Amino acid sequence: MDQFNQTRRAFLSDMGLGFGSVALAGMLQQEVQAAATTQMQRLAPKAKSVIWLFMIGGTSHMESFDPKPALTKYAGKTIDETPHKDVLKSPYLENERVVAFDPNNGFIRTELYPLQVPYRKWGQSGLEISDWWPHLGKQADDLCLVRSMWTEDSNHGAQLQFHTGRHRVDGFFPTIGSWVNYGLGSINENLPQFVVMGQPIADCCGGQEAHRANYLGPQYDGVPLNIDPVNPLPYAKPAKGVFREEQVGEFQLLGRLNRLTAEQYPNDAAIRARIRSYELAFRMQMAVPDVVRFDDETRATQNSYGLNQDETRPFGQQMLAARRLVERGVRFVQVYHGSSGGAGRWDSHKGLKANHSKLCKQVDQPIAALLADLKQRGLLDETLVVWASEFGRTPGSQHADGRDHHPFGFTVWMAGGGIKGGIAHGRTDELGFHAVENRHYVTDVHATVLHQLGLDPRALAIPGRKRLEKEFGKPIHEVMG
Amino acid sequence: MRSLLVLLPSLLTTPAVFAADVDYERDIKPLLMEKCSACHGALKQKAGLRLDAATLIRKGGDSGAAVVPGASSESLLFQRVSTDDIDQRMPPEGEGEALNAAQLASVRAWIERGAPAPDDEPIPTSPREHWAYQVPVRPNVPKIDEADWTGNPIDAFIAEQHRLGRVKPVGLAGERTLVRRLYLDLIGLPPTRQQVDEFLKNKSSDAYAQLVDQLLDSPHYGERWGRHWMDVWRYSDWNGYKNQLRGSQRHIWRWRDWIVESLNDDKGYDQMIVEMLAGDEIAPDNFDVLRATGFLARNYHKSNRNIWLDATVEHTAKAFLGMTINCARCHDHKFDPIAQHEYYAMRAVFEPHNVRTERVPGQPNLMNDGVARVFDAEPEAKTFLYLRGNEKHFDKESPVAPTIPAFFDRPFGVDPISLPPIAVFPSLWPHIEREEIQAAEQRVAAAKKQLDRRQGEATESSAASVESLKLTSAETALKSLRARWAADKAKYSEQSSDDTAHLAKAAADAERLAASHAAKLEVSEKQVASDAAKASDEADASKKEAAVAKASKELQAAQKKLAAADKALGLSDAKYASVGKAYPRTSTGRRLALARWIADSENPLTARVAVNHMWLRHFGEPLVANVFDFGLRSPRPTHVELLDWLAVELIEHEWSMKHLHRLIVTSRVYQLASSADATLTAANSKADPDNQLLWRANIRRLDAEVIRDSVLHVAGSLDLTQSGPDIDYTEGETVRRRSIYFRHAYEKQMTMLVLFDAAGPNECYRRSKSIIPQQALTLANSTLSLSESRKLARALWSEVSDQSDAESRFVQLAFTQMLTRDPSEAESVTCRNFLKQQATTLSKPSALTDFGGKTTATVQASDDPAMRARENLIHVLMNHNDFVTAR
Repeated sequence: MDQFNQTRRAFLSDMGLGFGSVALAGMLQQEVQAAATTQMQRLAPKAKSVIWLFMIGGTSHMESFDPKPALTKYAGKTIDETPHKDVLKSPYLENERVVAFDPNNGFIRTELYPLQVPYRKWGQSGLEISDWWPHLGKQADDLCLVRSMWTEDSNHGAQLQFHTGRHRVDGFFPTIGSWVNYGLGSINENLPQFVVMGQPIADCCGGQEAHRANYLGPQYDGVPLNIDPVNPLPYAKPAKGVFREEQVGEFQLLGRLNRLTAEQYPNDAAIRARIRSYELAFRMQMAVPDVVRFDDETRATQNSYGLNQDETRPFGQQMLAARRLVERGVRFVQVYHGSSGGAGRWDSHKGLKANHSKLCKQVDQPIAALLADLKQRGLLDETLVVWASEFGRTPGSQHADGRDHHPFGFTVWMAGGGIKGGIAHGRTDELGFHAVENRHYVTDVHATVLHQLGLDPRALAIPGRKRLEKEFGKPIHEVMG
Repeated sequence: MRSLLVLLPSLLTTPAVFAADVDYERDIKPLLMEKCSACHGALKQKAGLRLDAATLIRKGGDSGAAVVPGASSESLLFQRVSTDDIDQRMPPEGEGEALNAAQLASVRAWIERGAPAPDDEPIPTSPREHWAYQVPVRPNVPKIDEADWTGNPIDAFIAEQHRLGRVKPVGLAGERTLVRRLYLDLIGLPPTRQQVDEFLKNKSSDAYAQLVDQLLDSPHYGERWGRHWMDVWRYSDWNGYKNQLRGSQRHIWRWRDWIVESLNDDKGYDQMIVEMLAGDEIAPDNFDVLRATGFLARNYHKSNRNIWLDATVEHTAKAFLGMTINCARCHDHKFDPIAQHEYYAMRAVFEPHNVRTERVPGQPNLMNDGVARVFDAEPEAKTFLYLRGNEKHFDKESPVAPTIPAFFDRPFGVDPISLPPIAVFPSLWPHIEREEIQAAEQRVAAAKKQLDRRQGEATESSAASVESLKLTSAETALKSLRARWAADKAKYSEQSSDDTAHLAKAAADAERLAASHAAKLEVSEKQVASDAAKASDEADASKKEAAVAKASKELQAAQKKLAAADKALGLSDAKYASVGKAYPRTSTGRRLALARWIADSENPLTARVAVNHMWLRHFGEPLVANVFDFGLRSPRPTHVELLDWLAVELIEHEWSMKHLHRLIVTSRVYQLASSADATLTAANSKADPDNQLLWRANIRRLDAEVIRDSVLHVAGSLDLTQSGPDIDYTEGETVRRRSIYFRHAYEKQMTMLVLFDAAGPNECYRRSKSIIPQQALTLANSTLSLSESRKLARALWSEVSDQSDAESRFVQLAFTQMLTRDPSEAESVTCRNFLKQQATTLSKPSALTDFGGKTTATVQASDDPAMRARENLIHVLMNHNDFVTAR
C-alpha cells in the first residue's frame, strides 16, 4: 500500500504541473479557477457549503410549517363565503403563468379544506410546526421558516423553476447548484463540487436539467451519486483483475499524451477540459466510495439518521452522506425526495393525509438528525441547509380529500450557514393563499444562498449571458444572523 | 461553441457590435426584434409604439417620438433601455434582460449618427413578413474572386460572409484528418488503416469525390444519418412497467429500419414525410410503408389521450416545420401569428387516428412481433378548443375543423380515402388465413395420431372414446374455421357476392356444429375425470369427497353447455363469430392533406428546417440557432442566403438528401482545417470568436453511439449486421452490434450512451456535447473498452512481433488504427517508455494492489507483463482525447 500511495502522489504531481509546457499548465490552472473567481465581487462568506433538500410534487405548507386555523373554521365553505374572499381578486393571481402539462390539475380550488394535522409550539422560540414533523420540531430553534414564498408555474414545471429561477417554457438555464459550483473554488480536489442524490425529478418537470449547468458548461453540472460503496457512480471501478498501479500507469501516460496534443492545439478548449475530467475522474474513483461507506460511523449516529428502520433508511443514508460530503468540502449537495417518474410523490390531489403523513415520516427524522449532527460537529455554522418544494397546496379541497397545486404562497426553510434560527419570516393571509408580507420569489432564496457563500448574486452574471431574466433575486437580509 | 467548456469572459462578449461601425440592419434591427418586438411590433403595439421599422421608431407612440436623431440622451428609446430605474427600464423585468453595455453603445451610436436606416425599409405589415415564412427563392450565388471558393456555390456564400466579416479562412485539413472526419460524419465509423491507405493511394483528381460516393453508397450511411433523424423524429422503443405498455409501441424498431432503408435508398424527404404522417392512407396494404407511421404511433400514451395528441401536434410541427405551435395550446401564440384555435385545428388533423398492430407472417402473437401502425379509428371524432388548455372546459357546440394556420395562406383540401378490403379487414391477409387454417389442421392431425395410438392399444377404454370425440371436435372446428373465413372473405372483399348470405349461413351452421362437438368432448372429458375421482384410492375421505363433488359439478356445467349447444343446432340464423376485427372503411385523408402541404415545394419552412438539421450535423453548428423554432423569435440568420439556396437545391433535386450531403461535404468550407497558426487564429477570433462565419472547421466530440461503435470497430469486433428487433439495453457491453440497434426508451437506455449525451427519448432536436468525469470513468473502466483493447493489442502485436523494431511499429500501428494518424516522435518515445516501465511494474505481482472491481471483462488480461503493457497502451489510446474527437 505504501508503494501504491507513493506512486499515487507522484502521479498527482505529474498530473498537475510536473509535465507539459508552462503555458499549457498555466492555462489549465487558470481554467480550473474559472473565469468567475476574478469576475465576481467576493463578499465575506458566512457559509462554505449548501445542502439543498427538495421535496418533489409540492408539500402542503399549511400542513407543515404555516398553520391556518381559518381553514378548519371555514371548512366546507367556499372562499367567497368567508371574510377572506378578496384573495380571489388579488393582483398576485396575475403572477401565474400557466403551462398545464396535466390539464386536470393546477387550478384554484375554492371549497376550503380543514387542516389535516394539529400543530404545536416547539423550543424556546415557540415556532409552530405540524405534528407530521416531530423530529424537526426539536430543531426548531435552528430553523428559519420563510412563509411568504411565491412562484409562477402552477404546474410541476415549477420544480425546474425552483432551481433555475426561470419558468419551464423559457427553457433550461444554469441551476443554483451549478452557479455555486461555478462561483466558488474547490475545497476538495478529489470530489465533485456539486453532488446530487436521490432520483431526479422526472422529464415532465425539467428532469436532469434541475441540476445541470447549461451554458456554464457541463463541468459545473451536478454529479449524481448512489449510496453504494461498490457502485457509487456508474463505472466507478474497473473490471476484475485490474491493478491500481496498472491504472496509475495508464492515467499518467494518458495525461502525457493528451498534453502533447493540447500543446499542438492551443485553441482547443475541449482537450483541456478532457484532461481535467480525467484527473478528477481518477481522484473521484478513490474518494467517492469512501463517502458512502458508513463503517466508521457509530451505531448511535447511524440510528439517529434512521438507518435502522426501513422507512427512514433511504433518505437517512442520503442525509448521512450529505454530512460526509460537506465535511469533505463539497460545496453543494442537492437531495431529491419523492421522485415518481411523474409529478412527484408529494403531489397530493387526493388522500393528502395518508400521503403526507407517510412521506413526512420518511424524511423528518433523517433531516432532524442531519441538523443535530452538523451542529454537534460544529458544521452547522458553515453549512446552509435549505428545505423546499416547488409550491404549496391549495387551501381548497380537490377530490374531497386532497389539495391542488398552489404557487401563490408557500413555505421554505433554511438552517445554519449564518441564518437566524427560531424565526418565521414573512406571512401568508389567513387562508394561506397569498404571500402577503415580505414576499419572496424563488430567486430570493438563490440570492440568499449565494450571499451567504460570499457571492454577489448580481456580479455572478456572465457578460453576454443572462443569469436571470426575471430578476436576480434579493438576499433576504432580515433572516441573516 | 457552447459545448466547449471554457467560458472565458472574452469569448462571451457579444462580438458583432462595433459602435464605430454601427449598422441598422445588422446591429439595431435584430436587437430591437429580440428585445422589443413581442410588445412593440406587428403582433402587439403597447403604448401605441412599434419598433420594428425605423420610420415607426421615429414616429413613436403615445409618448411621442422614440428617437431624436443625433441626440441619444433626449431619445425616449435610449432613455428607457438605459435607465437604472427598474420601473422604467425596457424591456421590463420579467419580459426580457436589459441591454448590455455593447448593445447600449450601438443603440447610442446609431441615434447619435442620426438614426440612419435604408429609405426603402419595408414596414412589416404583419408577422407574415417574417423571413422564414417566405417561400424560399434561389438567391444569386455571390461573385467571388478567390478561385478556391468558386467551385461550389456553398463556398461562394461562405466566402462572401468571410469578406463581410473580415475573417480569413484557414487552409484545408490534412488528408488523414479529412478522411477520418468524412468517415465519422457519413457512416459513423472511423476508417480502418486499409481504408485510409486506399484513399491515400488513389491519386486521381477526384479521389475525394469517389470516397464521398462510396460512403454515401454504404449501407452504414443509413445507420449514421438514421440515428440523427431518429433524434429529430423522437424515436423511442416501447416503454412501460414490466410488460405493461405505457408509451410508444412494441416492434417500433420496424420504423427505425424504415428510416435506415429510406435514407440508404435516398427516398425523397418529401416522400418520407408523407409516409410517416399518412403511410396508411397512401399505401394501406403495404407493410413496408405502414412501418413509417411509427412516427405517429410512437406518441402513444397509455394514460392520457390529450398528452398523446399534444405530443403529436407539438412534435410534428417542431420536427418538420420548426414551428412551436404548442405555445398556442392555452392561449394565442405570443410571438408567432398562430391563434389558439389554430392549435386545435392542427389537432383535429390527428383526432381520428389511433394505433394498431398488424400481424406479420410466421408470428401470430402480437406481443412477439408485428407492425405498429396508425389508422383513422374514429373518422367522426370531434375536436374542441380547451379554454386555457383545460380539457374540462370546452364548448360542445363548436367543434374545430382540421386545417393549417391561416397565415400560410394556403388552402387545406381534405379528401376522404376509401380503403381496400385488406386494410378494413386485416384477416384477409393470405398469411393469416393460411396460418390459422394450418394450426387447425395440425390440431386435427394431432388428434388423429393420438386416436390411432389408442386404437392400437389392446383394450377398449373410455379414453379411446374421448380421443375419438377429440378428433371429431377438431375436424368440425376446422370446418367451422374454413366456413367462417369464406363468409368473411365474401363479406369484406371488394366484389360483393351473391353468395355472401349463403356463406354466412353455412358459417353459422358450421360454427354451431363445432360448438356442439366441442361441448360433447368436454362432457366426455369431465365424465372421465368424475369417474376417476370416484375410483381414486385417496385415503382421506373428506378430501376424496371434495374432489368428487368438484368433478361432478364441472361435469354438470359441461352438460348444461352441451344442452345449450345442441339446442342451438336447431337455429337457422346466419350469425357467426368473425375471424378477425374490422376497421372503418374510409380514412379521413386529413393526415395526407397535412403531409402533402408540409412536403409541398411551396412550404416556406420544410426544406429550410431540414437543411438546417443536416448542416448542424455536418458542421457541429446550425445555420439557424434554434433548430425547432423558425418563428419570429428566430431572427434572420447570418447565412440566410446559403440556407435558402440549399433549401431550393433540396427541393429541386427531388428532395434528395444524398445530393445535399454530397454538395456539402465536397465544399471547401467542409474540408477546412480546424486549427491554424496563432496569428491567423488571433485575428479571426477577434472578429468572430465563435466561428459563426466558418473560417475554420469546428472540432467535434463524437456522438455517444459513434464512440461505442468505434471502440468495437477499431478492434475489429463490431458486428455490422443490420436491422432487426431492439436489443436489450443492458447488453451493450457484451453484444457487439451497432448502438443504433439497442433499446432506446424512457428509463431503458444504455448508461454508457446516456453519459455521452445520447438523445433523450422524449425530445432531442439537438444534442449537447459535454465533457464530464463520468465519461472518463466509462471509457476507463467499462468491460467493453478493457476487452476490446486487449483484443486489439494482441492483433496488432501479431502483425509486428517478428520485426526488429516491433515496439515502435506497434505504437505506430496503434495510432493509425485508432486515431487515424501517425504518432509524433515525442508521442512515440513516450509510449515506448511506457511499455517498458509498465511491463516492469506488472512483472512484480506481489507489489501490485488489486482494485477490487466486480465486473468481468469478456477478454482477460494477458499473463505476459510485456503484452499486458501493450494492452494498457491500447486502452490508453481508447481514452485519448482524439479517440472521441473529429478534428
